[in-house]
Amino acid sequence: MSIISELTKALPKNSVISGEENTRPFECDGLSVYKQKPLAVALPSNVDQIKKVLEICKKNNTPVVTRGAGTGLSGGALPLKGSVVLGLSRLTRVLSIDPEAQTAIVEPGVRNIAISEAVEEYGLYYAPDPSSQIACTIGGNVAENSGGVHCLKYGLTVQNLEALKILTVDGEELLLSRKDEGMGLLALMTGSEGLLGVISEITVKLTKKPQQAKLIMAGFDSVRDCANTVASIIKIGVIPAGLEMMDQFAIEASEAFAQAGYPLDAKALLLCELDGSEELVEEDLNKVMDILSKATSVRVSENEEERLLFWKGRKSAFPAVGRLSPDYYCMDGTIPKRHLSDVLEKINDLSKHYSLRVANVFHAGDGNLHPLILYDAGKPGELEKTEAFGMDILKLCVEVGGSITGEHGVGVEKLDAMCHQYSAAELDVFHQIKAAFDPHSLLNPGKAVPTLHRCAELGNMHVHHGNLPHPELERF
Amino acid sequence: MNSIAELQKKVKHSHKLRITNYDDESDEELVNMSSYSGVVEYYPEELVLTVKAGTSIKIVNEELAKNNQAFPFITENPEQTIGSLYATSGAELSDSVLGVQIVNGKGELLNFGGQVMKNVAGYDVSRLLVGSMGKLAIITQISFKILPEKAAKKFQQEAPIKNKENSLRLIYEAKLKKVFDPYGVFI
Repeated sequence: MSIISELTKALPKNSVISGEENTRPFECDGLSVYKQKPLAVALPSNVDQIKKVLEICKKNNTPVVTRGAGTGLSGGALPLKGSVVLGLSRLTRVLSIDPEAQTAIVEPGVRNIAISEAVEEYGLYYAPDPSSQIACTIGGNVAENSGGVHCLKYGLTVQNLEALKILTVDGEELLLSRKDEGMGLLALMTGSEGLLGVISEITVKLTKKPQQAKLIMAGFDSVRDCANTVASIIKIGVIPAGLEMMDQFAIEASEAFAQAGYPLDAKALLLCELDGSEELVEEDLNKVMDILSKATSVRVSENEEERLLFWKGRKSAFPAVGRLSPDYYCMDGTIPKRHLSDVLEKINDLSKHYSLRVANVFHAGDGNLHPLILYDAGKPGELEKTEAFGMDILKLCVEVGGSITGEHGVGVEKLDAMCHQYSAAELDVFHQIKAAFDPHSLLNPGKAVPTLHRCAELGNMHVHHGNLPHPELERF
Repeated sequence: MNSIAELQKKVKHSHKLRITNYDDESDEELVNMSSYSGVVEYYPEELVLTVKAGTSIKIVNEELAKNNQAFPFITENPEQTIGSLYATSGAELSDSVLGVQIVNGKGELLNFGGQVMKNVAGYDVSRLLVGSMGKLAIITQISFKILPEKAAKKFQQEAPIKNKENSLRLIYEAKLKKVFDPYGVFI
């Protein structure tokens, strides 16, 4: 019996999709430049059915690519040739809510925003807010350790988890809680990009809705003045709920799209959100206003409507830039904030070098850069040029002590960039961790961690402190 | 132990090692990390602190207090070293860990995570090793997210709950021990 008929037999009607045309909607995730049709797509409705899929795939030695809503931006859910896509979008139940303990137990296919909606009546919400939150699933958030615009104050996914149920490749249930004694397995699973296990149940931590939130919008004559102001805000002891920066190109694009009242003459824009009790917001607001002397324009949201309008420009920056160009490529490096001005200058130099425009939006509070490179995939060679530009940006991030990805993950997209950030010995540890959980490499194989050969072939093997494992290996 | 090179050499040439903070160099099997101390990097505006593992909490707190900053977690014993706190804590501490430098059981010096708040490149080894009790690797350096003093006071360290017969978890812990310490050097 073929694996497709085995899956069809084991799962309820309409749970298995196969064939060239039918699998097309699953051929890519949010990074659509990479496409590959899977052998089949299995859409289980409960944990027992997931176990059956795993069992059948294991028996047939068939790779499994777990997928949530497919909104990921690094190709983490890109199907592999001959693989089965394990789509968890039908597991959408909120199993329980404990308003007292401020936790909720949910299935992996529950959408991020749906958690906040389900707990709204208790004055609670789920804090991490990736910009795809209306569509992306919590299972995918855990697999990618997703962030959002409020990470500085409220943390990433990993800080907002209480417990996980993981199905191992053998279909066994591994229970992990933040209260466990011993190694940090909960953190290891978070952000493991579907390579170590299948996330089957999540206990999330919920946060009390702040009494008040105010947004300060300040324009600056230079990126440097804006970056220095970010540093000053942190230094005076204020932790903003959100702290965002945009460069001139991003300001223009967003304003044309959202009409949020952004200052079009500014070279850089700062959005600083303060939340908490009314007293705290007032106190922090006064402190921040005192250090905005370099700003060329300052506005504070007068009401909730205006606060959301100010945010609208920033939150629609990606589609706004998308209107100006046939295609754009979103980068996701992080840097220590003190290097911001220098890094942005170098990105502008690179932009001239490659003759490709770039708009910069930046989670200034946590050092996460999202340069958007504008290109036209229809022009021969332009995608390759864009990818080379992107790689130069990521190298720059690593050089100043940052990372190649802050929240989008490695997937297939940043495999080469991983060779710059990690040494061969470190990559070897990653491969061994994978082997400890998935010895036959059936779970999303080949993603997230490059092979040592791949790095050696690139000639980019990052060898620090003279440590190179397997010196006996031929390098070419 | 004063230098990393010395430490790597010792790991490579030892069959059994126990990591401690007590001043007892007499026992060959002991690795004393308490003299490997000091702040490596601290930028108040980044909210990031990098320290050598043998640094005492007291010294770090004094340094942070100069800028009205503090660890986001509460600690009880100011004499304890950062490395020992890291090796024996749980998720409340690991929430604030950003990166770690280690010497594994093969004597290799490795870096995981970094000095930025957001970093999802590679598995989260810097948080995996929190609570590893010195059985997987020697922790040489740790980077933490820190907070303004005012904000830090809101956090409370919860007491860890003993693992109740979670045998599958123990199986994976044993497998991970082999990843970091294949020869079983760290006892």
